[in-house]
Amino acid sequence: MSASSIVPVAAMRAAPRGRLLRAFLRNPAFVCGTLLLVVVVCLAIFASWLFPGDPQDMVGSPLLWPFQDMQFPLGTDSLGRDVASGLVHGARVSLLVGVTAAAVGLAIGTLVGAVAGYFGGWIDAVLVRLMELFQTVPPFLLVIVIVAIGTPSAVVIALAIGLSSWPMVARLVRAQFRSLREADFVTSARALGYGAPRIILSEILPNALPPVIVATSAMVANAILTEAGLSFLDMGDPNLVSWGGMIGDGRQFLRTAWFLTALSGTAIALTVLSLNLVGDGLNEVLDPRSGRS
Amino acid sequence: MSALARMARTLRRSLLHAVPMALGVVILDFLLLRLMPGDAADVIAGQSGSATAATMAMLRAEYGLDQPILVQLINYLDHLAHFSLGFSAHYNMGVLPLIMSRLPATLSLMLAALGMALVIGIGFGMIMASFEGRWPDRLLSLLVLLFYATPGFWVGLMAVVLFSVKLGWLPSNGDMTIGAGLTGMGLLVDRARYLVLPSLALSSFFIAIYARLTRASMLEMQRQDFIRTAASKGLHPLVIQLRHVLRNALIPVTTVAGLHFANLLGGAVVVETVYGWPGLGRLALDAVLGRDYNVLLGILLMSSFVVIIANALVDVLQGWLDPRIRRR
Amino acid sequence: MSHPRGPKITRRRALAALPALALPRAIGPAAAAGGPERGGTLTLALVAEPTTLVSATNVFTPSLSVSAKVTEGLLEYDDDLNPLPMLATAWSIAPDGLSYTFKLRPGVKWHDGTDFSSADVAYSIMLLSRIHPRGRSTFANVTEVATPDALTAVFHLAKPAPFLIKALVATETPILPRHIYDGTDPFANPNGLAPIGTGPFIFKEWVRGSHIVYERNPAHWAAPRPWLDRLVVTFIPDGAVRSAAFETGRVDLGYRTPVALNDVARLSTVPTLRIVTKGNSYSFNVTRLEFNLDNAFFKNPKVRQAVAHAIDRAAIVRIVYFGLATPCATPIAPGLKQFSDPAPTPYPYDLATAERLLDEAGYPRGADRIRFRVPLDYNPIGDDNRPLAEYLRATLGRIGIGVDVRAQDIGSFIKRVYTDRDFAFTTNGASNLFDPTVGVQRLYWSKNFVKGVPFSNATHYSNSQVDALLEGAAVENDPVQRVAMFKEFQGIVGIDVPDINLCSPTYVTIANQRVHGHSLSADGVESSLMDAYVTA
Repeated sequence: MSASSIVPVAAMRAAPRGRLLRAFLRNPAFVCGTLLLVVVVCLAIFASWLFPGDPQDMVGSPLLWPFQDMQFPLGTDSLGRDVASGLVHGARVSLLVGVTAAAVGLAIGTLVGAVAGYFGGWIDAVLVRLMELFQTVPPFLLVIVIVAIGTPSAVVIALAIGLSSWPMVARLVRAQFRSLREADFVTSARALGYGAPRIILSEILPNALPPVIVATSAMVANAILTEAGLSFLDMGDPNLVSWGGMIGDGRQFLRTAWFLTALSGTAIALTVLSLNLVGDGLNEVLDPRSGRS
Repeated sequence: MSALARMARTLRRSLLHAVPMALGVVILDFLLLRLMPGDAADVIAGQSGSATAATMAMLRAEYGLDQPILVQLINYLDHLAHFSLGFSAHYNMGVLPLIMSRLPATLSLMLAALGMALVIGIGFGMIMASFEGRWPDRLLSLLVLLFYATPGFWVGLMAVVLFSVKLGWLPSNGDMTIGAGLTGMGLLVDRARYLVLPSLALSSFFIAIYARLTRASMLEMQRQDFIRTAASKGLHPLVIQLRHVLRNALIPVTTVAGLHFANLLGGAVVVETVYGWPGLGRLALDAVLGRDYNVLLGILLMSSFVVIIANALVDVLQGWLDPRIRRR
Repeated sequence: MSHPRGPKITRRRALAALPALALPRAIGPAAAAGGPERGGTLTLALVAEPTTLVSATNVFTPSLSVSAKVTEGLLEYDDDLNPLPMLATAWSIAPDGLSYTFKLRPGVKWHDGTDFSSADVAYSIMLLSRIHPRGRSTFANVTEVATPDALTAVFHLAKPAPFLIKALVATETPILPRHIYDGTDPFANPNGLAPIGTGPFIFKEWVRGSHIVYERNPAHWAAPRPWLDRLVVTFIPDGAVRSAAFETGRVDLGYRTPVALNDVARLSTVPTLRIVTKGNSYSFNVTRLEFNLDNAFFKNPKVRQAVAHAIDRAAIVRIVYFGLATPCATPIAPGLKQFSDPAPTPYPYDLATAERLLDEAGYPRGADRIRFRVPLDYNPIGDDNRPLAEYLRATLGRIGIGVDVRAQDIGSFIKRVYTDRDFAFTTNGASNLFDPTVGVQRLYWSKNFVKGVPFSNATHYSNSQVDALLEGAAVENDPVQRVAMFKEFQGIVGIDVPDINLCSPTYVTIANQRVHGHSLSADGVESSLMDAYVTA
């Protein structure tokens, strides 16, 4: 589902470290995205320090508007929970779900794609069928079914999203492996008698990674959006505050207290935006052919 | 080879390809669905708020849920072999007529959303590529990123408040004015009015993807030798853009669009819930919640076929776009 | 016998609306100055699509919402559940309570032209006693239905069933056409999808996922009623969109609080809308916290009492229900006036006592201030259970009980609680229905601890005294004696706390001001709507 991942990306050229960094810094969108992402990550890391206590505790009177009571600068929800605290703690959950889901998807996708692309033949044929099979199933429906099989806890949700997103990565990695498996350095590694696992892991994989790195940001973004969609359908984890869950809870109050959905919606939008800007930046720098060259 | 014969060949290959795929889908999904705790009898009793041991046993016997799983799977495959998708425990009717009654609504929503996403996305992408690095590019890039980053259901709800409640321009629930008895042009306009908000909510994410993809692949194309050659031959820049650059840049876009059919159906689950759209997405969600295995299996099968057919059409389209593919 | 409810009464009834809610413009279903007018279309909004259009095999609320429009019952009830004539014009109960004689309305025809007769009644009762989710218990004592002539049906009972006379409303006991059901599989009978009935509306079409259309039955026995030419039932799954549909006038009528609870107050200020609470007295719900008495923590009465002391029912009504509920500490809802015991709970809101009880029970606060952790499952149907679970987590956290709220869909919930019994405690709603023997006994009767059966005795409560009272009340013919037995029962379970009854939700009906003549009977919008009419 990612835009950037489909853009053809060449393997990372052996550029001196300094030049790479300068290339990143010359890209204002990338710098903005990174700064934004750093802020979100910092909020997530220091959530318990910024807002000690359980963000789900009913601390104030319900439905206070932002700035109405400076003890709760962003207001309270229908159960009197602090929205600011929820947003900050929610950053942690949303990012964790996003990163875990992306990691699961990347791990499965890379494994399947690498095996299929490296070995080719019937193994490739079978695995490609498997990818196609998964790609004909609407991913969101698959996530819903997996969440229904488990319970809607953050771990199950992250796993479900990961399990539904691997075919995209597998295709990407397979394509890389197919183009790299006859490369000179691979042929020479084979001549030296290296085993397949070693060639896959230490020779081809590092060279196949750049497009996967670019795709990662899109996968994290997608996972955050999917989690929000699940929470919207009342299938989120009720024990944790996530931004999707806040939209889901606030949706009942769309007309009377729209700030509830607006604030959490903005948090999601900004985070996904920052992930995309970072992904674009990586893409432009790692792939000299795209962007302004 | 004539285009028609080629298309027939592609479709035939796709359909042959589809049979083992369908079998895989059925077996995988059948087993997956049985992993969900509870069954249709539990849900029916839970929704009714009352039950006795006897009624529970009767419900299970009625829908064959008291059989061992393997027997149920064989029964289902037997139904399939007779071109039947089985019986819905929840709706007390055949699955095929049930799906058929809701397929048109979903197809029109998906096609409208996909069409909107392609037209707007490719349009934006072209503008962005033509003004690369200048303010129209930057502005549209930001707009497109916002489309990407904002959850579609959130946009949908906000649109309901603005366009349906505040302004009263567009309807917010259903797919037509009930009992208006419209015909011809009036009917078409009525349907279109209902289609606007849901298809916009469904397409916003894909608009972003196609815009970015079009931009990237057009920029990639512009650097190709044959484009430079065309430019050096003195062809008008617009002609080059449309005939050569766009045409070739559309190949990745159409590939991705073919893959997106399944994603669109997944997205339809949420959008159809927001807009009360009588389609398959909501039926699928209800089937999951209702443990109505046959309905869900039927929808997943249908979705696989639609995706396979869509991909076959993309193959044909790409053959037209890129002569090199045709020769392969 | 003439039908006792004309639109003329409605103005008087209007005054009874919404006494407890300080909602502005909360006016009842007032009649227009000119009286009922024929014609027009009424659009009824439902939260979900019915699964069948006849509430025989399934009593899912959306099916109840539409069933009576086509399929009628023997009786109807006023707000206090006193029977009124419908397909039966007169009835009598033998003094021993063992036979019920119903005189049927003459000249009634099914929509396909066939004559309605006592054979249909006999067939329906015996069929429902087999296939209806509650039929097996409601009609358990009915041995046969005799039909001495075409317009007389006599129920013969083995034991008295004092609740039976209240069970005969159209939605609970629909009278089905024998000539269509006889010899078929009732679950697969196409009549569930395109019903034939005797009712005021004729089924026209069902567009899946979108709406159902009914048209006026010109040959209905209550002519000139029904007043409406057409009834459209539309399904709107999203709460915010439903609210918008009421505001814009796209839908006319919805019941059982058809919008988000917090949106009711705002909609009550919309000039075109009327909000009433009448017409919801056939089925009162009680929201409960059910303990698993086999759970290591909750089998200790002190722990249960501590939980009870930690709960502020007034706060629940305010925070979770936005005022749209009545605190209720007993299993029988205040709405069932003669049965409900108004005595206060022996365990009032008192956090200090709760803490002391937990200390005594041997659960001191640990290093993290937590005494023990338990999961809380909530019934996902309805939008009140999740905020309720969140309230409980917060309040129980204050006395050192760490609560992990566990979410799941209805299938998983039913399986977990009733089949696997893999739960500690759960928030659940239970309907009292029309009588405590039908709605309440199942939850406390030790013989109804049956694994795999939803809404049975999930707590695994077993008290021989309670069993004797419930079994006695089920066959007690003397109403006074019966009430006394239920009062005693409430006293005992109040002390034993196998569950904690929290409140009884107040359901509101929202109607556009142009709609009149709805919510006249106990089953309100679920009734046939033959008296409903619209004005310009």
